Amino acid sequence: MEAPDVGRALLEMHGIVKNYGAVRANRGIDLIVGHRRVVGLLGENGSGKSTLMKVLFGMIRPDSGHVIFQGKTLLGHNTGDHTPRRAMAAGIGMVHQHFTLVDAMTVTENIVLGWDRAGKVLKPAVIASQIEEASRAYGLAVNPGDVIAKLSFGQRQRIEIVKAILRGSKLLILDEPTSNLSPPEVAGLLAIVRRLRDQGHSVVFISHKLSEVMEICDEVVVLRDGAVAGHVEIANATRESLARMMVERDLEGPLQRKHHTPGAALLTVEGLSGQQLHDISFTVRAGEILAVAGVDGNGQRELLDGLAGVTPIQAGRIRLNGVDITRMNVRQRLAAGLAYIPVDRASTSLVPGFTIADNLAMRDIHQPSLAFGPFLNSKAIREMARKRMAEFDIRASSPDVPASSLSGGNQQKIVLAREIGRQPKMLLAFQPTWGLDPGVARFVLDQILQLRDSGSAILYVSAELEEVLTLGDQIAVMSRGRLSGPVPRETVNVTQIGMLMAGAA
Amino acid sequence: MLFMDSVGQSKRVAELDVTWNLRVLDYIGNSTGIRSALRAIVAVLLAFLVTSIPIILSGKSPLAAYGSLLNGAFGSVDHIAFALNKSTPYILIAAGVALCFRAGIINIGGEGQVAVGALATSWVALNAIGPPFLVMILALAGGVAAGAAWAGLAAAIRLTRGVHEVLSTLLLNFVGVLVVSAALNGPMGEPGSGFPQSPIFDDRLSLPKLLAGSDLHVGLVIALLVAVMAQILLWRTRFGFALRMLGGSRPAADYAGVSFTAGVMAVMLLSGGLAGMAGAIEVLGVHYRLIEGFSQGFGFTAVAVALLGAADPLAVIPAALFFGFLQAGALAMQREVGVPSSLVFVIQGLSVVFALCAMGLDRRGSRI
Repeated sequence: MEAPDVGRALLEMHGIVKNYGAVRANRGIDLIVGHRRVVGLLGENGSGKSTLMKVLFGMIRPDSGHVIFQGKTLLGHNTGDHTPRRAMAAGIGMVHQHFTLVDAMTVTENIVLGWDRAGKVLKPAVIASQIEEASRAYGLAVNPGDVIAKLSFGQRQRIEIVKAILRGSKLLILDEPTSNLSPPEVAGLLAIVRRLRDQGHSVVFISHKLSEVMEICDEVVVLRDGAVAGHVEIANATRESLARMMVERDLEGPLQRKHHTPGAALLTVEGLSGQQLHDISFTVRAGEILAVAGVDGNGQRELLDGLAGVTPIQAGRIRLNGVDITRMNVRQRLAAGLAYIPVDRASTSLVPGFTIADNLAMRDIHQPSLAFGPFLNSKAIREMARKRMAEFDIRASSPDVPASSLSGGNQQKIVLAREIGRQPKMLLAFQPTWGLDPGVARFVLDQILQLRDSGSAILYVSAELEEVLTLGDQIAVMSRGRLSGPVPRETVNVTQIGMLMAGAA
Repeated sequence: MLFMDSVGQSKRVAELDVTWNLRVLDYIGNSTGIRSALRAIVAVLLAFLVTSIPIILSGKSPLAAYGSLLNGAFGSVDHIAFALNKSTPYILIAAGVALCFRAGIINIGGEGQVAVGALATSWVALNAIGPPFLVMILALAGGVAAGAAWAGLAAAIRLTRGVHEVLSTLLLNFVGVLVVSAALNGPMGEPGSGFPQSPIFDDRLSLPKLLAGSDLHVGLVIALLVAVMAQILLWRTRFGFALRMLGGSRPAADYAGVSFTAGVMAVMLLSGGLAGMAGAIEVLGVHYRLIEGFSQGFGFTAVAVALLGAADPLAVIPAALFFGFLQAGALAMQREVGVPSSLVFVIQGLSVVFALCAMGLDRRGSRI
């Protein structure tokens, strides 16, 4: 290995400024990454992490600032456009949160794809042996012949890492690499990051999970509101100090849970089976939250869609408040008192092109109060919208503004207003705080707790274990289409839940 | 498959689902009244400007050409009546196509639906016995039903066999047009005419004239009413809301309990019915018989009309009138100035292209 240019860091980013209209995403950020260092980039949603990394990788052009990598100016006054292609050629690799792999191709084919140095005539065998070599050196356990579609999320991530290594990346940017991994997979990834450092690479580890950052990083840069809020060696950092740097505002008091006195069974599910679902049975009682933990993609969406009537189930029985709703369609279930907050705001729980008023009415358009026979009662729809906007603090100039023009938080408030505003007997909620900043997330959780206190039942599904543990009166785990538990919160054993989530128990 | 992230997965499925039909909606979706009208006008002016270039190159004066075009379109009561009659089928078919666009469905089967509608109308007109007014109504209804059935067939292929509606509607055009030819060259042809056309209808079956002494028939009034009703249906009814939801987001429609199958079938039946009505009005109001090739591409032109009208049933009216008057003036331009009438189609095409470009620009501007 060549001796690193002593005194010169691997990467220097200086004074990065990027504004989107009135939003100041980066306000003069400096980031230095030394050789053989794992630098954590910590911050909440919207703190400027992604923008900074996109600048580094040439995906967006900053308003000002410069980037020096291995002593070479990549972005400055007189350099041309900094593009991902140039970033990769210089030795920067990025593993995005959403992978850039072709499902129908093998590992080898994916790695060759778009790689100049693979040559004009492809030599799959040569590439495959390179992949195997890298896989051995870094402990990645990647098999070049595998087709991507058959691999798990964690395995795909490793292929992205191999791809970056083979392309000669000295610096790897891992964007929220653990957000979709089960606990053992996370441990595996952290081991790989250590190997990368040992082999002479540097890593920028983007996360908002303190424990992982504390475990793996050499130093941490904390971003807040588009500026550097702190830069510490990990040895001098504590969870508390990092958390304070990240948030640095008066943290609201902890969630207020009133003592719960569960009532009669509201939702009873017996032997539910279907696509990705195996014989699921549980009961949720009035005034109670059943919180379900689990790594994404273990049948949670299928369960909730099946309960809400969006997708058909193959077997089993669903009773709501004593009424068999198994054969009812979406509208009938709604009328029976079943509300649903799906996870996907971009195209399921909202129609982005619709106005706020239309989005608030979209599941209730057949209600007599919103229609005259076959005609819409536009006045009633707008009146209801105004009322809900005030109740749920949806910030927009009028109910006629398209939902797509609102922030994620305001969009989720529309969904919340529609589903909770109806005062349902039973609420199904799938990661309703996903991608929201802490203030709005808190608002969402408060609303859900309030609904519980008013005597409704709630099925709350989330991949955030912490959320599940704070919110649930009963706690269950979903893994490979099976539901284990539920157990009362008082008797929960966190280790066991972790094991269940990983499918190990 | 075990640890797939469900969010990414659902997004991917949504992307696969919408393919390019939502793109069309993306362009036209958020356009509001005055802005899109202005855009359309600028697009039309630009189209005239650009078309001046080939006219100048051929040594003619664009001003003279456009002057005679105007004169041909508006020069006399007869000219205007002719142009209005030409616009009528465009309004009807494009209103239906616009509804489909709003529901995220691309119906480019207007041509076949018009042909089959006209065929059914002609068959009723030639064979039904009874009071002439009733037969005329029955003939119109037959046209509507046949057009709807033809579109319904395309929709059924889409829904049960998963063949994209662009293909199923497009291919059924050829079948529809050829069925008409077969009928005219066979059982429905006029004996001894030597031309693929049906015998002339009883003249009491013709659509009433709007203006005594001109060719202008009541079809125009029907078309205008239909466009207004389509507008109300789309924006003021629960059914229209469901259609717009299907076009806005398929997963959201599922989540709200809107049936994709029922929605697609309904909007295709409606749109096919309107195209069939256009065919019926052409044979009962203009030709008084069925003639091979009478439709001259109405079905395809109507897609362009719907796009120029930003898939808004009301805005389709001025767009259709523009196309109708343009085509009416084309022959005068050719006769008087010697500029080929086909340049009019260049103007039509460029208008739509410029209008779509303007919408695209607008959309880009509105993104942050």
